[in-house]
Amino acid sequence: MSLLVLMIVLPLLTAFLLSSIDRLSTFAARVMGPLVLLATAAIGLSVWPQLGDAPLAVQWGGFQAPLGITLYADQFGLLFALAMTIGTLLLWPRSTENQLRSSSLALLLAGTGSGLALSGDLFNIYVFYELMTVVSYGLIASRGTSGSFASTLRYLVISGFGAALALAGIALVYQATGTLNLAQLAQLAPEKLNNLQGFAAFVLMLVGFGVKAELFPVNMWVPEVYATASSRVSALLAGVVSKLALLIIMRLLILVFHQPEALTVLLVLGILGVVSGELAAWRARDLNRMLAFSSIGQLGVMFIALSIPGNAGIFAALAVMVHHLFLKPSMFLLAERWGGSIKGLAGAAKTSPLGAALFVLLSLSLIGVPPLPGFWAKLLVIMPLLALDQPLYYFAAFVILAAASLEANYLFRVVMKLYEKEPAATPHNAHATLDLATAVFLGAGLVAAVFMLIPLADRLDGIAAQASDVSTYIQTVAPQPLQSGGVQ
Amino acid sequence: MRRFTAALFLLGLGVMIAAIYQHIDFSNTAVNAGQAINAVAAEETGAANFVTSVVLAYRGIDTLLELTILFTAAMIGGMVLGRRRVDAPRDPDAGFILRTGADLLFPLLLVVGLYIILHGHLTPGGGFQGGVILAAAFFLPLLARPGITLIDQRVVSLVEGLAGATFIIIGLLAMFDGKEFLTPLLDKGELGALISAGTLPILYLAVGIKVGSELAGLLAHLAEAEALD
Repeated sequence: MSLLVLMIVLPLLTAFLLSSIDRLSTFAARVMGPLVLLATAAIGLSVWPQLGDAPLAVQWGGFQAPLGITLYADQFGLLFALAMTIGTLLLWPRSTENQLRSSSLALLLAGTGSGLALSGDLFNIYVFYELMTVVSYGLIASRGTSGSFASTLRYLVISGFGAALALAGIALVYQATGTLNLAQLAQLAPEKLNNLQGFAAFVLMLVGFGVKAELFPVNMWVPEVYATASSRVSALLAGVVSKLALLIIMRLLILVFHQPEALTVLLVLGILGVVSGELAAWRARDLNRMLAFSSIGQLGVMFIALSIPGNAGIFAALAVMVHHLFLKPSMFLLAERWGGSIKGLAGAAKTSPLGAALFVLLSLSLIGVPPLPGFWAKLLVIMPLLALDQPLYYFAAFVILAAASLEANYLFRVVMKLYEKEPAATPHNAHATLDLATAVFLGAGLVAAVFMLIPLADRLDGIAAQASDVSTYIQTVAPQPLQSGGVQ
Repeated sequence: MRRFTAALFLLGLGVMIAAIYQHIDFSNTAVNAGQAINAVAAEETGAANFVTSVVLAYRGIDTLLELTILFTAAMIGGMVLGRRRVDAPRDPDAGFILRTGADLLFPLLLVVGLYIILHGHLTPGGGFQGGVILAAAFFLPLLARPGITLIDQRVVSLVEGLAGATFIIIGLLAMFDGKEFLTPLLDKGELGALISAGTLPILYLAVGIKVGSELAGLLAHLAEAEALD
């Protein structure tokens, strides 16, 4: 028995009961959600050290894999489960109209996100992913404006399409192997999935789960949703949820799909994502849209990192993911009061000097100016790309560098506006204290990382090494072979 | 341009599906999980209906998540649909035959729904199917007499919350016992008896009530939407 399942189950339980609790006491309902998330985060943190020695497998309901469902916790998975829990806590939705429902949805998001990060069963991952998608619809629509309804509808159509593709991919895998357990798939994949069917399954799942990871052809929803949802929700979706979708793809790459073509697909889609995202961000005239497009670009860099074979790719991708985890939510929080045209931001630094200074710091890290963490993360991607010595990988490194100069151009355009002497006709309000405090907290995390680069890099390298250790995964879960009865 | 992209995509998808179809040997698949479950389910869970043993025991957490998806969807439905102008027109009354029919069907549907839920571990059916029938029982009167409030939305949300919580709490009870979350508890009993399979029937009852109240609430919200002129 492990208490880790409580990270998933307790938020769900609280979400079910929240409206009943609200009837008894409004105050209790208001503090209940954050308190539960604090408790689950504490549970996660208490398990963290012991996972360094050996990962942990829990069989839900005590039924052995592969008939039962496995929960697999290594530090990689737990890192993102914690990011989801603590991220939701920091970005707790504050909606005037739908506070109770938003709180329930936030709890559900934290629980399902943690479950997604820790699941060791392909179909279970799909169900968690579906639930997370439905919860995101609610969070986007909870703003209650017609714009948010319209963007939710578009997001719903694209997500539904993606989910259907992912399910088709899962069906192909199941047809070929007869199992959904990731550990057993890792055992069977070299023999049964190293063919056209396996490749097709990978592409279907990549595009399906890629909807949330803002993968190149299926990211049409991104700018509209991030521009219409409340900035706390945008920060959660861009900062944490997109990383969880990426985590699934990473797990699949490590355990199941080893075709070199799979890496090429990732590389090409990643390059296209960087190019299209950064160019669109460069053209954007609205800060929220600019941040949305630039996040497509950054996710593209992560896909490029994933396409590097071996441990170096996982390590690089993990570094870029963690960097983005801190940076993007903070930027979206700052954008809350800076909506509308960028031209209108003139002189906004006067009303919120701290916010403007933080924006400069975040921009510098995003571009990759040394010694900020963004520089080291990008370096970790570019070095192995060059070391591979292949034309397409060289091109990817070039694209990342060119994108950095584009990023510098459009972000400095915003910074110049912020510090312009002539204030805009309609001056902007200062940031809400809580928003600013959260943004500063995340920014401080980035600065602190500068002073702990070596131990931090060691730790991330250790996590990446543990995540890419297939034989430990199989031994920890220890799935029983199914009797090969065949057809009678 | 957009149409061209869509056509190109559909073409690609079609070619891929055709290629896969050619590739798969349908007569000889590797799927053995069904046989494995047939071999052990009766002994391990005590449910005569093996589908139930998969739904509530082997893949119980998936079922909890499906329930949560329904819960979330119903909640969002309430959030998006719960707006109605005070003077908005309603659909006309349904007339004598439909009204009487709805009244007669109400108790029948309740009994059938509950029967299907309570026998979910023995015969085909169970919480999801029975829950839908329960929801229909509460929705029919609403169709026959638009505008009546048969059930208070607050009662609905209380019932669905408690039913969902029951499912999770039964799972947590196993943890107090030192077992994994959602491990079936209680005596498995005699295979095929009404009281058998440990906690599985209780779980199915929670599923049925939750599905029923959520769907009923969602349908009531839909019925509340403004009628077209």
